[in-house]
Amino acid sequence: MNDTMLGRFYRRAAGLGLLGTLGAVYVALIGIVERFEPRNIVTGYLTLGLLTAALVVFVTAYRATEPPHSWGIGPPPRQHVLGAGVLAAVIGAAGVALFLVLNRALPLDAVLVNANDRMSEILGLGLEFPAGALALLGAGLAFGVAAGGLRLLAPRFRGPLIAAVVAVMLVSLMEPFMRVVLLQLGQNAISGFFYQSGGLTVPGAIIVAGAVLAIGLANSLRGEAVRERVAEMPADQRRGIQIALFVVGIVFLLVLPQLIGSFLSEVVGTVGLYILMGLGLNIVVGYAGLLDLGYVAFFAIGAYATAILTSPVSVLGWGLSFWVAIPIVMLIAALSGLIIGAPVLRLRGDYLAIVTLGIGEIVRILLLSDALRPWTGGAQGILQVPPPEFADIDFFQPQNLYYPILAFVVLGAFVAISLANSRVGRAWNAMREDEDVAAATGINITNYKLLAFSLGAVFGCIAGAFLAVKLGSIFPHNLNLLVSITVLSLIILGGMGSIPGVIVGAFVLVGLPELLREFAEYRLLIYGAVLIVMMLWRPEGLIPSAQRKRELREHEDDEDQWAHQTGVPTAMPAVERPGP
Amino acid sequence: MPAGLTDGVEQATMTDAAADEVEPTRGAIMVVRSLTKRFGGLVANRNVDFDIPQRSIVSLIGPNGAGKTTFFNQLTGMLQPTEGEIEFNGVSIVGLGPHQIVELGVGRTFQNIRLFSDMTAMANVMVGRHSRMKSQWYEAILHLPRVREEEEATRQRARELLDLVGLARRYEDESAKNLPYGDQRRLEIARALASDPKLLLLDEPTAGMNPGETGRMTEFIGQLRRDLGISILLIEHDMKVVMGVSDRITVLDYGEKIAEGLPEEIRTNPQVIEAYLGKQAHA
Ligand SMILES: Nc1ncnc2c1ncn2[C@@H]1O[C@H](COP(=O)(O)OP(=O)(O)O)[C@@H](O)[C@H]1O
Ligand SMILES: [Mg+2]
Repeated sequence: MNDTMLGRFYRRAAGLGLLGTLGAVYVALIGIVERFEPRNIVTGYLTLGLLTAALVVFVTAYRATEPPHSWGIGPPPRQHVLGAGVLAAVIGAAGVALFLVLNRALPLDAVLVNANDRMSEILGLGLEFPAGALALLGAGLAFGVAAGGLRLLAPRFRGPLIAAVVAVMLVSLMEPFMRVVLLQLGQNAISGFFYQSGGLTVPGAIIVAGAVLAIGLANSLRGEAVRERVAEMPADQRRGIQIALFVVGIVFLLVLPQLIGSFLSEVVGTVGLYILMGLGLNIVVGYAGLLDLGYVAFFAIGAYATAILTSPVSVLGWGLSFWVAIPIVMLIAALSGLIIGAPVLRLRGDYLAIVTLGIGEIVRILLLSDALRPWTGGAQGILQVPPPEFADIDFFQPQNLYYPILAFVVLGAFVAISLANSRVGRAWNAMREDEDVAAATGINITNYKLLAFSLGAVFGCIAGAFLAVKLGSIFPHNLNLLVSITVLSLIILGGMGSIPGVIVGAFVLVGLPELLREFAEYRLLIYGAVLIVMMLWRPEGLIPSAQRKRELREHEDDEDQWAHQTGVPTAMPAVERPGP
Repeated sequence: MPAGLTDGVEQATMTDAAADEVEPTRGAIMVVRSLTKRFGGLVANRNVDFDIPQRSIVSLIGPNGAGKTTFFNQLTGMLQPTEGEIEFNGVSIVGLGPHQIVELGVGRTFQNIRLFSDMTAMANVMVGRHSRMKSQWYEAILHLPRVREEEEATRQRARELLDLVGLARRYEDESAKNLPYGDQRRLEIARALASDPKLLLLDEPTAGMNPGETGRMTEFIGQLRRDLGISILLIEHDMKVVMGVSDRITVLDYGEKIAEGLPEEIRTNPQVIEAYLGKQAHA
């Protein structure tokens, strides 16, 4: 790397440092820092409020240390990696310090309501004014060294380290959930050891980080050997392990609601509905490549169809049992998929997205309309939707309603997997890649599009049916654009076309916000941020399908970039200097 | 209509004084009559008559922009003709969709390779077999034994085809886009063959190849006809490529058929030479 390139590398770092400042100041000014402050990550040391601002600075600094592959040069010498990290982090922190000075000197809070003293105090690491600003510079230096050091670590150490830090954050954020589980298990002592005032205790944090680090290191250092051993095992032994894992999983899923109590069962139930919708939309978007932004339409149709069929006070007044209604709802779903799918068959890409977006809105407006009021009840909705009946079980209880939802999720996942690995899945895949060529290869595009829409609709409608049952009533305002956006986001987050991805995505985007009430206000902002970060950092999603991996990553750029750099790093090879 | 069509056209051509000898259409697998395609004011094909005899290799040549690909696209249902008639095995295929024409037994490749580039080589060929498979979506969900059998048989057949076109086994699970250029062309042919076509349409299969590769490809095309007993329609803009391998050659220029005949006749046809030299002079 010659001097010109080095200058460019540092300029990029400085720019990212400024970006870090802007980001940190932004999250402070929109109130996130202060609102998240009461939430402890490591009680007494780190709060979620400070963490959000600090993360922005750290991530930009870490980004600044990334070797600039696209410049067509090798990785920069080690000390410059550290240098770039320090430069970016110090600029980022200094910018925040400057902001604190400004905030003190000028009445910023006259315009920016969140620029108050409390915010300044948090950003200033809880110290008095000049000390806090100075401490920030020190923190910046530390961050820079940490960012550079992390980058220089070999990937087999870096991965587990990042995982350990992320695990501490997640385990801490899951405090409300873990508390209840431990309480149900009668493990108050453990709960008190790990958690205190809504966050992890110091020993708790160390144990969590240590455990994840150990597992991660074991995996990256010995994982290959273990996997080989498993692969070499006799088939029946391997089968035995698989069955054992499967049984453990099933038992866990079956006892889960008893462990987590009523409120959390309700949350998990909601996550289940979104998993169902995610599985359905994944067929449409992930497999068939039809960008449907109006998926809420099917959620709504399922919910209203169920309410109309089962509620004694609906226009039909049939008061059917849930189990009788469900097959009818599925039929209606499939038909509605055909009806909504047919007019958009010829549309592609952006046009399809816009039109389906419109269809979602039309359905919502229809539900509110006077014309359909006798059927839908307008804004008053439909009341008295009875829960499913089965033996003497009270399905009003979220802990019990969990089971039918689980059953449908498992069934849905099974259906989706079966389709993905069949002639049908292959045809969708081909269609997604190139519609014209797929047709010229013998695929009936019309049929396969309609099939995707219809199957997707059935998943959405079943989720809708459970929504109606869960709420015991249904109103148009439960069924807005945000549902479509959430379902699409969770697919993107988890990884298009990936079923484990849908499940993880639903827990992160639907489950976590329920646990973190502070998030509610910033939900859309966080969705947006998550999606942008994912697109930049991991476009294939958290748990990508094999197919998407092929599409988005040519080759994992996994190898240790500095592993082959020997000798004095400053000695630059002559070939890299531009000739005279 | 379909049955009577060829007779009528034959008579029509008889009355055309310029036509010296009318090729018997009996035994032709594909019959095209006065095919015209307009794109707005541009006439990409004008009144083209064309026969492909059973088990023959016929070539369609002409300078770039002559309308060869457009002609192809109409035979495969990707474009609908403005006027004219196309019969395949005695059945009119005008108005049918591309997948229906594949089902009847027409396979094709593309001038600029169009593989499913992120799917594996194996999956590409298996998609090619789609129209010959029967399992339905509900059968796949129910995991009926015949679904798995069909899937296995398809994989087996795809492997045979990959062998046939000479694609190395190690590429089987490689993304199509990572294959070397020549192998991508071969894979496209394997995908087209997977639908068991009776007629294979190849759009400039040697485009972008060096003379050595071109030679191997043309040889391979001849071999395909011998081994599989299928008919092949070959598009080329480079006249030299098709001379050795074609039974008959048709020349298009500005959308019109300007010559038709045996390779030697075409080589010496002044109109053809004019068309090619004229184009080169412009270029
Ligand atoms: N879809 C289309 N719309 C408008 N013009 C087209 C279209 N496809 C081809 N053409 C025009 O038709 C003419 C013939 O093109 P093409 O069939 O691709 O020629 P060839 O394959 O012989 O090189 C060209 O002038 C081309 O620009
Ligand atoms: Mg062409």
